[in-house]
Order: sequence, then structure tokens, then C-alpha cells
Amino acid sequence: MMKRSLTIAFENETVNAAPGMSVAAALTAAGQRVFRETDQGAERGIFCGMGVCQDCLVEIDGKPNVRACMTKVRDGMRVARQAPRPSLQVRPAAEEPATETVAPDVLVIGGGPGGMKAAIAAAQTGANTVLMDERTVSGGQFYKQTGLDGTEPLDRQQADGARLHDELLASPARYIGGAEIWGAFDGPVIVAATADCVYTVRPKTLIVATGAYERPLMIPGWTLPGVMTVGAAQTLWRSYRVPAGKTVAIFGNGPLNAQVALELAEGGAAIAMLADAAPSPVTRPSPALALAAADPALAAKGFGMLANLRRRGVSTQWNTVPRSIRQVEADQLEVEYARGERIATVRADAVCMNFGFQPQNEILRLLGARMDYDPRFGHLRTQRTETMETTVKGVYAVGDCSGLGGAPAALVEGEIAGLAATGKTAPSSALSGRLQRHRRFQKALWETYAADLPDVRDAAPETIVCRCEEVRKEQLDAALAANPSDIGAVKRATRIGMGRCQGRYCGPALASCLSGHTGKPLDEFSYFAPRVPVKPVSIAVVASSDLSADDTADD
Amino acid sequence: MTEKTDILVIGGGITGQSAALAAADAGARVTIVDAARNAGSTANAGSLHVQMQSRFLRLNPHLADNLESSLPLYVRAVTAWEELDQRLGGVELVRQGGLMLAETAEQAAFLEQKAEREIRKGLDVEILDRDALFRHAPYLSERFVAAELCHNEGKLNPLVANRKMTAELDRLGVSRHVDRIVQIGEENGKAVAQGAERFVADRIIIAAAWGSGELARPLGLTIPTPGEPLHMNITEPAEYVIHHLIQHAERSITLKQFASGQVVIGGGWPATLDRDDALPAIKPQSLTGNVALAGEIVPAVVGLRLLRTWAGVNTPVDGKATLGPIKAGGLIHFALPGDAGYTLGPIVGRCAAASAMGTTPPMDIAPFTPDRFAA
Repeated sequence: MMKRSLTIAFENETVNAAPGMSVAAALTAAGQRVFRETDQGAERGIFCGMGVCQDCLVEIDGKPNVRACMTKVRDGMRVARQAPRPSLQVRPAAEEPATETVAPDVLVIGGGPGGMKAAIAAAQTGANTVLMDERTVSGGQFYKQTGLDGTEPLDRQQADGARLHDELLASPARYIGGAEIWGAFDGPVIVAATADCVYTVRPKTLIVATGAYERPLMIPGWTLPGVMTVGAAQTLWRSYRVPAGKTVAIFGNGPLNAQVALELAEGGAAIAMLADAAPSPVTRPSPALALAAADPALAAKGFGMLANLRRRGVSTQWNTVPRSIRQVEADQLEVEYARGERIATVRADAVCMNFGFQPQNEILRLLGARMDYDPRFGHLRTQRTETMETTVKGVYAVGDCSGLGGAPAALVEGEIAGLAATGKTAPSSALSGRLQRHRRFQKALWETYAADLPDVRDAAPETIVCRCEEVRKEQLDAALAANPSDIGAVKRATRIGMGRCQGRYCGPALASCLSGHTGKPLDEFSYFAPRVPVKPVSIAVVASSDLSADDTADD
Repeated sequence: MTEKTDILVIGGGITGQSAALAAADAGARVTIVDAARNAGSTANAGSLHVQMQSRFLRLNPHLADNLESSLPLYVRAVTAWEELDQRLGGVELVRQGGLMLAETAEQAAFLEQKAEREIRKGLDVEILDRDALFRHAPYLSERFVAAELCHNEGKLNPLVANRKMTAELDRLGVSRHVDRIVQIGEENGKAVAQGAERFVADRIIIAAAWGSGELARPLGLTIPTPGEPLHMNITEPAEYVIHHLIQHAERSITLKQFASGQVVIGGGWPATLDRDDALPAIKPQSLTGNVALAGEIVPAVVGLRLLRTWAGVNTPVDGKATLGPIKAGGLIHFALPGDAGYTLGPIVGRCAAASAMGTTPPMDIAPFTPDRFAA
């Protein structure tokens, strides 16, 4: 166990924390899971664990609206639960933020596999390259590195990530971690901020490698503290060695769930349930065989994982989906689930869900990159050339932000885009051959996991569909009954999508419900119009950004 | 297909809806047809303007007289909103007044002159010195030396108002169509409008904001209705302390706080309409300039995070409302507020409905006749 040598204050309690931990991890380790109260008096805690959902907001040293999952502990830090409407008062800033305007040849956004590989490839051609990543812990969601000092990689995946990150740092590329990208304008112009510097970046070419975030199932109780994404639980463990709970129930669809179940079990958590919505692969051997053919090593790793879980007494419950979650006693959650026709319940401290992914394509959409709806994955895919260039000249997209494709494909796409963006080297056919193999594997993988997921259109009336504004399915249905002209009309009528997560969870659900109501197939215009800021950003940061390049607004 | 009705309202924003409501109340069969494109009302930020906006005076000095002559309409507009607030069961209408701030002696002198002119037009305004200003609004930056407080002013939540207004019209059986009307005229004693569908009515009311000029031109009127795309911002919620509508004597800004605790910042910074006929897009310079100015005025907002920016379309016309028939006894009537369309919408809509139905409008509309645009 890590030495918890720091102390922070949470409300009136003292919490020990290890250097490098996130505030969310330190609080979770101390058994604290309620981080804030909503306008309607509901309790919320960590949910996405990656800075997207904005539900883990706390007050730190008197400053409200700070994400516990994205903020590192500091000795003596005072953390308090955030009130629904924090006081409006002048809080003396530590210092005026520094400002920097950068004009690199290549800007890479995102420090996961695709982004790191792209930056390394671009920098090695001699191009002036900058990589910005919103996290301070490197590696993105796939390689997620340890945030703690002096801990060894947990496994090969983390070791591979460490090696790639070292390669990035050794390359001539400039790495800026902890940089929240909050806007993109035609040009492109990218605006970002770290804790102490406000950046305005005008790159010649842009490579977007912003990955994806997880899709939950919207069921009654999915907003309760203790219910989180599988990725959030994985980050708590892999980056901070904090188990999400003593007993954990995992519901989802796809290979990540079994992987995290195994990681948590190895870490000492009791896995109360590992459920997948897909039918057992035994019932459908042909995709499993295709999987083995596409990448025998990876397929073997996957089947080995399931076998290892079984040895630990955890067998995947196939064809199983959660129906509702309720709090039964302090820190105990009870999930009602359906296994086929049978209804049963399971109890756990933490309930984790992952029912697929949504690409983080906000920057691409803002810049006008065209996209197509992919019905298999229920999300948009960015139109790209063979060199990963989008329909916007000079803007490239690699990895899951352009539609789910997996980390191995993202690595190759990053290398192709990194070379193409510098205009110096044509991508080799060896690269495209590898990419084709990874894509075949992904295709077979998701055929193995193909499932009829519960449709949000059928969600119970009391289900919250917009976590931020606390809007329920029945309110959405009432708005749909008025035959709204478009998704914006529903947003204005219900406030769905007007909160801090900016529609990341409710947007796709609403688009699907509206499409079901109108019968109009989903496309890139079915979603909320892209808007700046793409993440909530303080007025101090916006005002310091160097965007006065052309005309002024007044006179 | 032809839709037949008594009163056809072209434009489904707050002005057209108010006209439809008044006509339906009077017993008419009413149809609203709306192009569902770049509306002002659906993007509005909820200021109830009464005092002359420094933005308008600065951008359109030649139209200052027009604006000044419209002030009685603005005063009456607030009453119309209060009536609507009652009728619709609350639209978060707050009337704690609007402050226009001066940070120099010169700006203060400008406000004093402006206040005198406005008092003559029936506005309830007073000049606050520094001490009085900070008693009223302790959240303001200390840079200000004086302010004009207009007691008529306030704010409301346009999302709530639009939703409840639509529900009320539905309840009254007003029919709604999405269509873009491209031509209107009179045929055999009826008013006709042609879009994808054809509409035949006893009277037409044009409440189409920036789309009105194009419809009026073939009828012999040249009404300047270019849309003015404007930038807006909204923050995450905070404790409710900003009760007033805030403006500046010399710089473009409106700032207010909704009942939700969110701070809305706008006030006339330009947006653009140039990308593929899509929604109006924001300009980065407007974003930074607008919010930086907000921080100079209410320093505490600097720590708040912006959640969203958007743009809506204002239609200033000539700074004066356009109300009444195209020609005496004509079948086609106008309902154009001329700047501050959301504030003026309810009163302008009601006047236009009365004009179209031949009843007595709630106020004299003779000063606003469309005649001034005849060739």
C-alpha cells in the first residue's frame, strides 16, 4: 500500500492521502462518496472519473466548482461538499495566469495511444510539435498511468504506456499535461488552460485524438453516489490503487468490463456480479473464431482473462442487464437486474456500468468536420481519408474520437496522421496493413459482444435522462408529444442538455428518442449544435485568451 | 394543399404569438406559420429593456429620435409582460429595475441628459450617485461613479415564457405550421400567403422580424430588416445576488442573473451568419470581449465558469415599431417591434391583432404606421 503521508480536510474530518492522488481517490479511499448536493437536494459523487460529467464538484480552499477527479491532493487542502448554488463572491486569484500564444507546425490534442504516437511521429520528421493532454496523469483512458510516485506498472498495458510516454518525452515534441481544451475556432485556433497558464494555439495542422467517454444505461438510480462508470473504477484502481468499493457489481457490454473486474479482484475487491448484456459467446462461436483468427494473441489474452476470473469464482452472467438501483443502507446499493426473463437483485458498495462509448468529437464538430451515424455503435463516425484527414483541410482525427476503433488501431492511425500532418512522408503500406488487421479484430470483437441493449426510449418515467438539470424521462416524453421541430426545441422546452456536462450523456439519448418519435434516421444534425466552450471554463481564462487577432467587436 | 383561416400570423416568435393570442381571445380562428430558422425569440436572453440602450444610440445615432419617440411603447410593453406573466402562471418576471453604469464624469453627464429626456416620455428613472449605487448593488465593481436606475426595467426567463405561451396557444386551438412563406398578396378580397403550402386568410399579420423586409418589398414597401446576429453567454449557477438588469453607459453589455442562479451575459456583441446558412456562429473576439467586460463590471463573475455561448438574431429596423396595415383598409398588417423585440413583442403583437381585427388597439399606433417606408 502507498504511504498516505498527506492530510486533507474534508468537511470536519481529516483524510489521509498519498502524494499524487486525485481528491476523488483520496475521498473514496476514506469511504466518502457524497461530494455535492444538487438543486433538487439529491446527492452526487464520482461518476465518469475523467472530467466529463462534472458531478464530482467540490469546494477546495473556498473555491467552488472544482472537479475532484481531475484535481490532485495537496497537503493541508480544505475540501468541502459543494452547495447547489455556491456563493457569488470575489475570490482573490492566487496569481494572474501566465499567457502563451503558440504556433506549432502540428498540435496534437489528447495524450492517449493515438495522440502520443502521432506526436512522436510528427516530431521525428523535424516538425515543431506540441501535444496537449487534459489529464495530469498521462496515457489517456487506455494506458492510464499511475498518478502515485514510485509505483511500478501494474501490468504490461501500463508498462507499454509508460514506455510510449517516455518516448514522447524523449522526442523533440513539447508535452503540456493538465491542459483543458475549452474551445476551437476556424483557422484552426485552439484555446486551452492549465492551472497556471492560458494558451492560445494556432497550429498549421491539427491532430485530434481526444478518445471517447463511457455510455451508461439510464435506469432509475444511475445518478446515486457509488454508481460510476467502469472506467472511473478502473482509474481509481490503476492510477491511485484505490478500490471503488469492498464489493463491486459490474454491469455492461464489452470486453472492458471483464478486464476491470479482474483488475479489481486482483486488487482485493469482492466482485459481487459481472454481467454482460450480450448472449454467451458459447452460443455464437463464429465471431469468437473470427476474433481468434484476426489476432490470436489478443484473443487468447481475452479468453485467458475470463478463465482467470472463473478461477477467482467470478463468472460472467451473460444476457443480463440492470433495471434499477437503489440505496438500501448507508453505502450499500441494491441493483435489480434481469437475466433473460428472470428478475433478481444483488448488493454492492459500488455499482459500475459501461454500455459502450461515445466519441469525444466536440472539437471536430466545432471545426465543421463531417460525420456519419454508425448504427452498430450508436454514435457518429468522422469522415476521414486514408491519412486520417477530416473533411476540414489540415485537421486530422485519430483513434476513438472519430468512432470506436480500439487502442491498437489508434496507435497505427496516430503514426499515419503524425506523418501525414507534416507533409513529409507518405504513410507506408505496412502501416495500413497493420491497421486493417486491427480493424478486423475490432469488428470480430464487437460481433462477439453484439447485444440488444435496453433502449432509453423504453426507460421508466421516473428515470433521470439529464443528470445535470435533473430532468426525467416523463418530462422528455411530454416535450416530444408537442412535436418539437428539432433537438434544440426539446432542449429549450425541458432544459435537457443545459447543464455542466453540456449534453454529453443526455444528448445522444435525446437524439435517439427524438428520432424514434419522428421516424427520421439519426445523422450528424440530430445532436445538439456544437458550441464553445466544449468544457466549462472560467471567465478569467476566457478573458485572458489571445483571440483578438482580427477585428474588434465594438465600433 | 390550402389552409384557410381568419387570421394568419407569419412568424412564431413572441410578437407573432402575442398577436395570435390576442386574435384568438377575440374569437378569431388563428394560424401561425413559422420558418423555424434563426429566430430571435428562441435565442433571447430575457432582458426587459425600457431606457434607451447606449448600444443602440452609439451604433445608430441617426435613429436616436425614432428610439426616443418609441419610449412610451416600451413603458407599455412592460405592463403587457406583467399581464402575460399573470396569465401564463409565471415566467420568472422580476422587476427590480435596470442600472446603466457610468465610470467617468462624462458618462454620468450623458446619463443625466438621457434621464431628463426619458422622464419627459414617462419613464420612471433616477440618477444614483456613487453611495446610492453601492447601496443598491454592492456586487458592482468600485470603478463606477454613478448610474441611471430605470425602475420600469427587469428580466424574465424566455425559455419558460416561450414554453408556456406555446402551451396557451395550443389550448386555444391556434394552429401551428412550419413553412417558409415566400410571397404574400391580396386576391378576391382575401389575403393569401404562399410557402410550400398556400394559406388563405381574412387578414395576415407579418411578424417575421428579419424576414419581413423581403415579404414587404413586392407590396411597395422598403423596410430595412437586416438581421443583427448577437452573441450571448451563460454561466453555471451561483447564489442569487444580482437583482438588476445591468448595462453600461458607453460599452456594449447586458448582464443579469436568472432565478436558476445562472448569470447571462450579452448586450450586442456581434455574431456571424456566414457559415452555410446554418445557425449564427459566434466570433471569438466577441466571446472574450463580452465576458471580460462582465468581469470588470461584476468582479465575482470572473470565478464562474461559462457553460454555453450562442447567438440570436435581433432586428432593429429603424429603431421604431412598425404597426398597422400596409395601406388604409388593407388586409396585410405589420407587427415589427424595431429593436428589443422580446421586450416589445407582447404589446406590439396585441396592437397588430387589434389593427387586423378592426378593434381599438391598447395604445395609439398612428405614430408607427408603415407609411414611412412607402416608395
